[in-house]
Amino acid sequence: MHDNPHKTRTISGISATPLSGLGTARWYHSGEQPDPAEVSAADPETEQQRFDDARAAAIEELETERESTRQRVGSEEAAVFDAHRQFLTDPQLTEPIETAIANGAAAELAVDDAFGDAIDQFEGMDGMMAERADDLRDVRGRLLRLLSGGERTDLTDLAEGTVLFAERLTPSDTAQLDPDTIAGFVTMTGGRTSHVSIFARSLGIPAIVGAGGELAEISESTPVAIDADREDVVVNPDTVVRERVTAGRDLTVREDRVETSDGREIEVAANIGTAAELNGAVAQGADGIGLFRTEFLFLNREQPPSEDEQFESYIEALNSFPEGRVVVRTLDIGGDKPIPYLELPDEENPFLGNRGIRRSLGADSDLFETQLRALLRAAAAGDGTLSVMFPLVATIDELTAALDAVNRVARDLDTEGIEYATPELGVMIETPAAIFMAEAFADKVDFLSIGTNDLAQYVMAADRENEAVADLHDPQQPAVLRAIKRAVEAAHNHDAWIGMCGEMAGDPELTELLVGLGLDELSMSAVTIPAVKANVTEIDRSEAVSCSDRALTKTTKTMINQTDTQ
Amino acid sequence: MIERTVTVVPEDGLHARPASQVVEAANNYDSTVTVGPAGGEDVDASSMLAVTGLGVGSGDKVDLTADGSDEAAAIDELETILTTPES
Repeated sequence: MHDNPHKTRTISGISATPLSGLGTARWYHSGEQPDPAEVSAADPETEQQRFDDARAAAIEELETERESTRQRVGSEEAAVFDAHRQFLTDPQLTEPIETAIANGAAAELAVDDAFGDAIDQFEGMDGMMAERADDLRDVRGRLLRLLSGGERTDLTDLAEGTVLFAERLTPSDTAQLDPDTIAGFVTMTGGRTSHVSIFARSLGIPAIVGAGGELAEISESTPVAIDADREDVVVNPDTVVRERVTAGRDLTVREDRVETSDGREIEVAANIGTAAELNGAVAQGADGIGLFRTEFLFLNREQPPSEDEQFESYIEALNSFPEGRVVVRTLDIGGDKPIPYLELPDEENPFLGNRGIRRSLGADSDLFETQLRALLRAAAAGDGTLSVMFPLVATIDELTAALDAVNRVARDLDTEGIEYATPELGVMIETPAAIFMAEAFADKVDFLSIGTNDLAQYVMAADRENEAVADLHDPQQPAVLRAIKRAVEAAHNHDAWIGMCGEMAGDPELTELLVGLGLDELSMSAVTIPAVKANVTEIDRSEAVSCSDRALTKTTKTMINQTDTQ
Repeated sequence: MIERTVTVVPEDGLHARPASQVVEAANNYDSTVTVGPAGGEDVDASSMLAVTGLGVGSGDKVDLTADGSDEAAAIDELETILTTPES
């Protein structure tokens, strides 16, 4: 008996983009080259000439690829080709190569050894250092191909609906892909921050990376689906999977606000982290901004942004949503993000340390005051409605101090005769303390907003960056659901509205559960807004409430997942 | 020889584009240019391998040295690269 070749099979990886796709597998092998150790060497002069020629050709190719990447993908992405060119002229690589050649090695072996040593050094380091090993592999592959006289595989002209399978894709491979024809790609290696993932995001191509060696068992021409939400590659997908991955693809953007079938409006807003994302939010039909992270205004510079500069940024957001609401989160910074002009001490546990509102009321109180001044001025001058919320509040004293700071700033502006308005004020619900104190918080503010990523992290004591505890760090854990329910009740008992701005809010499969729990607003990455808006219109609130009531009786995550799909 | 200590501003630290720019600049001058973590061992700033191998991140302090006929211009350009935020 052998395996049924048409059997559905799922391989997990990492979603490089939030896009799903459906197509046919096509394997990409970057060209077979002779084993460098098997190539017999001519005399050193000839070998040196071969190396020089290959290197000159490589530099020429890189120039061309850099230019086409700059045009097709972006200049930031194109910069990687500069790094590749610099490796080709790096004395720490070329000297050992030339020495080996002088000692009788073939150019292939000399290149392979010198790059191999460098790759070994970088490999096993984390993050950006590991990416360097990929860059070196890419440059080595290019040189070896040119030494063997090989042509580059053309990836610009793949058939419509191709899902490209590869062990790894180099930046130059990825930059060739045409987002209009290709259905996606899957690689065995790579992570969310690899070049290949960054390129995929810029080009808007569905992609799963880091799928592992198991991928090799999938044969050419097999139907495959890329499920971005579940971070899976599904081989021989059944109808359910096919519908899931193609759902949303042709969703029309709804610019109008949406309500459930029984007439309750749910505000669907976008999370943004830079001003550049405002256009995307408008284009996807966001009702407003549910989470405007302001850190980008403060990072990557030597001086903090001035009041006027911040004012302009808030006005830009408010004018993008003249009929909507923009919820700005005040500076949420801690020891994990270096800012040259702030004293950010190394902390043992930055996520449990001096961050968010704690710094705004302490070390960064001047920055906080400037930010509040800019916000209160923007509230009076911008087109849309401004709301301001405070991150990581754990005590009533913190909230009182933050509200006092707002009153103080308002008084100052008043004295100075500067036009201002006091915006709607709210608290982020991110900690167990905030859940237990939600009634008291809601009594003092206009709204609450649940940050499910941090809430899950702190309720479950599970680091959101640690893959080993990813199962615990899940907002569908019964403990987290109960916490959410508690916050919603607290808000509504005190006439405050309540929103959610974590990843959970943008999961279209959870819209019914969240509406049932009583959330008034859902804020998410702009790409998922059309799908969530479509779902809201199909929800009947009494059914949604019984769905969430059922989920709240369950004591395991598995049981909750089963209620979702009923 | 000129020495200078600067705090690295670009978000990527001495990786990706900032690293490329440092190497590019170091190669454009006759002077010998080195870079290294403040108080630590310096490496040849014209080697991409050496520069990225330092693992210097944003917010870290680095020592720069330049030695040669155009050392003043060389060290100024390196300082500018390392203290200018990425666009």
